[in-house]
Amino acid sequence: MDKFLEFKNVTYFYQTKTSEIHALDKLTFAVDEFQFASLVGPSGCGKTTVLSLTAGLLEASEGEILLDQKPITKNDPRIGYMFQRDHLFEWRSIWQNITLGLELQHKNKDQQKLSLAENLLKKYDLYGFKNKKPHELSGGMRQRVALIRTLVLEPALLLLDEPFSALDFQTRLKVCDDVYDIIKSEKKTALLVTHDISEAISMSDRIIILTKRPAHTRTIIDLNLEGNTPLEKREANDFGKHFEMIWRNLSSEETIIKSP
Amino acid sequence: MKKQLSKAHEKYLKRLKKDKIIVIFWQIALFVCFLGIWQLLADTGVIDPFFFSSPSRIAVTIVDLFANGNLLLHIWTSLYETILGFIIAVLLGLIIAVMLWWSEKLRKILEPYLIILNSLPKIALGPMIIFWVGSGTSATVVMSVLICIVITIISMLNAFISCDKDKILLMKSMRANKFQILFKLVLPNALPEFVSVLKINVGMAWVGTVMGEYLSSKAGLGYLINYGSQMLKLDIVMTSITLLCVLAGGMYGLVSLLEKRQQK
Repeated sequence: MDKFLEFKNVTYFYQTKTSEIHALDKLTFAVDEFQFASLVGPSGCGKTTVLSLTAGLLEASEGEILLDQKPITKNDPRIGYMFQRDHLFEWRSIWQNITLGLELQHKNKDQQKLSLAENLLKKYDLYGFKNKKPHELSGGMRQRVALIRTLVLEPALLLLDEPFSALDFQTRLKVCDDVYDIIKSEKKTALLVTHDISEAISMSDRIIILTKRPAHTRTIIDLNLEGNTPLEKREANDFGKHFEMIWRNLSSEETIIKSP
Repeated sequence: MKKQLSKAHEKYLKRLKKDKIIVIFWQIALFVCFLGIWQLLADTGVIDPFFFSSPSRIAVTIVDLFANGNLLLHIWTSLYETILGFIIAVLLGLIIAVMLWWSEKLRKILEPYLIILNSLPKIALGPMIIFWVGSGTSATVVMSVLICIVITIISMLNAFISCDKDKILLMKSMRANKFQILFKLVLPNALPEFVSVLKINVGMAWVGTVMGEYLSSKAGLGYLINYGSQMLKLDIVMTSITLLCVLAGGMYGLVSLLEKRQQK
């Protein structure tokens, strides 16, 4: 399979008033097309920095980031970003939230894009809520709306920055299944940042483990667990084996959630 | 079709309605009691009506002022100056706050000046304002604007700056430009703060108007208070204060209506 997203020796320094922070050091990894990849590593190791660099919100100090063999540009339209919180705008209806990106890119008259938005709402059981305000929806529904808002722009790569961290455990498992299903059925490549090893194993085809700051790749693990959904994959025979392996890899690092 | 309410919910709604009626009843009762006691104390000579006036004397003064055609002129003058000062201050303050949000450098340069202007008692500028723009309506409006504008700039700027950074990042990730971030996120996000600023400014604009009319005016309720106190016609002073209460309350009510519409 072709490398779709490629980090080649990427180094990044944050500038602050008092010092220069070395966040990433010659970081190298790749994600194949249609793969679901996860980035795990200790708190503050620079996982979100990797996503910001990929989205073109930050510029690498050194190295190269390629998407489909072309360099990433500032606010690259090929990339969609989903944040820790859903960040729905409370004064806009669900429909207005979903079409926000189209509006910003002056594509809100494009019938093809609008019917895609409508179809996604129907497909993921949110059509009946299109005229509601975000506060009328549950946490899980709000995350689905946030994902559809990103998908409407038809990005080739989806960046997910701990999108389930604000949810309670039960909702989290359900939303993981929903998001995984949506991403796989819409045939998207995804890069997830998470602190939760179980979540990473149950959702990913590939896990990239980072070291503590300045982060570089500690190891890359390719997975092929039985099961069609993250919930089913949690029951797979090899789940525990992978969990132990990743846990051992991270044992010298800090603050990793070892959830069941 | 009307939804059938459960008995418990019906009881809950009834209790809410009853509580509301009790609050309104006591608000009115307190007002009536206040007027009644005031009138009684004045009639029985416990307080001197010359200094403290009374509801009946205020009513007579209103009728007299209305009969000689002055009342509407004074009300209109004050209302016009207050509304004009209020609108100019809110619009100008909003524009300046947007400019300061837009340019961090400009914000840093102007920050100390804003702090000084905020702490300065604006009444101190009164004599200068009269020299600069002349006496009468223009001086009163400028005074009103000066009092309202600084609080508008500071409050709105704080609201703009405190807009969630991740939401701005989300907009940028969808390729929004700075205009779009302003109009589609920062401004609507600051709407609740804007309504609070309007509420504060209703009171502030009236302070500015009365101060301006004290200093240099031939008409208006501030002028009437000044005239009444100098001529020892304290009924006129009390009447003007009563009218100010009614007008300021009315303006506040209009802003509250706007707030309710915004919350819907």
